[in-house]
Amino acid sequence: MWRDASTWAAEALAVFAKEWRCEFRTRYALNTLALFAFTTLVVVSVSLGPIGVSLSQGTAVLPVLLWVILLFSAAAGLPRAFVQEEETQTAIALRLAATPSALFCGKLLYCLTLTAALELLVTPVYLAMTNLNVKSPGLLVAVLAAGGYGLAAGSTLVAAIIAQARSKGTLFSVLAFPVLLPLILIAVELTRGAVAGDPGGVALPQLLLYDAVVTIAGLMLFPAVWNP
Amino acid sequence: MKRALAWLLWLWMAAVIAGAFLYAPLAKGFIGQSSRILFFHVPMAWVSFVAFIAAGIWSARFLFLGRRPEHDRAAAAAVELGLLFGVLATVTGALWARVMWGAYWNWDPRQTSIVVALLFYGAYLALRSSLEDRDQRARLSAAYAVLGLAVAPFLFFVMPRIMFSLHPQSVINAQGKVEMESRMVQVLLAGSAGATALFFWIHNLQCRLTALSDRKSALEE
Repeated sequence: MWRDASTWAAEALAVFAKEWRCEFRTRYALNTLALFAFTTLVVVSVSLGPIGVSLSQGTAVLPVLLWVILLFSAAAGLPRAFVQEEETQTAIALRLAATPSALFCGKLLYCLTLTAALELLVTPVYLAMTNLNVKSPGLLVAVLAAGGYGLAAGSTLVAAIIAQARSKGTLFSVLAFPVLLPLILIAVELTRGAVAGDPGGVALPQLLLYDAVVTIAGLMLFPAVWNP
Repeated sequence: MKRALAWLLWLWMAAVIAGAFLYAPLAKGFIGQSSRILFFHVPMAWVSFVAFIAAGIWSARFLFLGRRPEHDRAAAAAVELGLLFGVLATVTGALWARVMWGAYWNWDPRQTSIVVALLFYGAYLALRSSLEDRDQRARLSAAYAVLGLAVAPFLFFVMPRIMFSLHPQSVINAQGKVEMESRMVQVLLAGSAGATALFFWIHNLQCRLTALSDRKSALEE
């Protein structure tokens, strides 16, 4: 039992390590994510004008824009996790080498670290550029953590689905957005709460519940998606 | 026998339409005749909800209970019909909203959740059309449908909490009381039952049709 669990964890970690090793060879996902996020940030910030928006408008509008930037940046970078396996035709080798659930967790961990890096890059710059004053930073960190996890988990499963289809790039956005929309709505609501300084109430547990549901659905569905 | 049932359904739906205009009274507090759209709008919204759940269940059966192609065909047909009924429910709802609320669209929670459902249906069909291999298409689209079913409750439970709704209460409201004139309830329930039967009838025809075309393409290969 324990040995099974430890080989499973070793497999998942091996997949995770492999992902980052491949990533550092080309730095494709990192560069795309960072540049895409930064470009969108600049567009948003410039369009809002030199002094930004007024305080009341800012509380309503700026959290939405933050999550739109995060969502679209994730859509630009995360699908690579599986698309690249199909393009380089390494998917078959990976099917032979790893158990599906361990593979899913390894890929999820990789997407999670990418999302976390994205949030670490985007959020401080965004707050600085838009002069947004966050009243409860702790809640903001919690929302970014829970929301980022949901974003990564949903994207991992959808990426596995679209990797085997034609027209992968556009299909990812089409498939991922209806699934991620509840997450984005809850996260925007909570981010507004963090900016205005009111505690989230039941929204944070709801966000965590969403994360749990998507993780369980991913673990259950991934073997069927992955193995022909 | 089947023909008789189809005729019975035709008569039933004709009676519902007649009942909506001639038998049911107007609801209090609604502008003009606008409350009559209820007898068409609610059954369509209900059917699009049933189709969504049915597609999810058929997909789960396909994935976890022995990969049978008829379950895949059933899920796809349910999504196609769900999209049709969902669009009809959205349009009838928007027309009514224009009369009562003064705007076709105002992102009421119900409007938001049906738009997400339509997006989901559309995405499902886009996924199917971009996969050529039949087994692969069945497998991946079933997984996507089950994922949608898992996430859907968040829309229905989270939306009403975040947003204020102007949408009239459901037939049975939070107090569990029916606050509608009994003749209206009769027509509404008859309409919903008829629309559900209509859905399963068209669904059955569509499944048989796709089964035949699948067999034809299998013979040609």
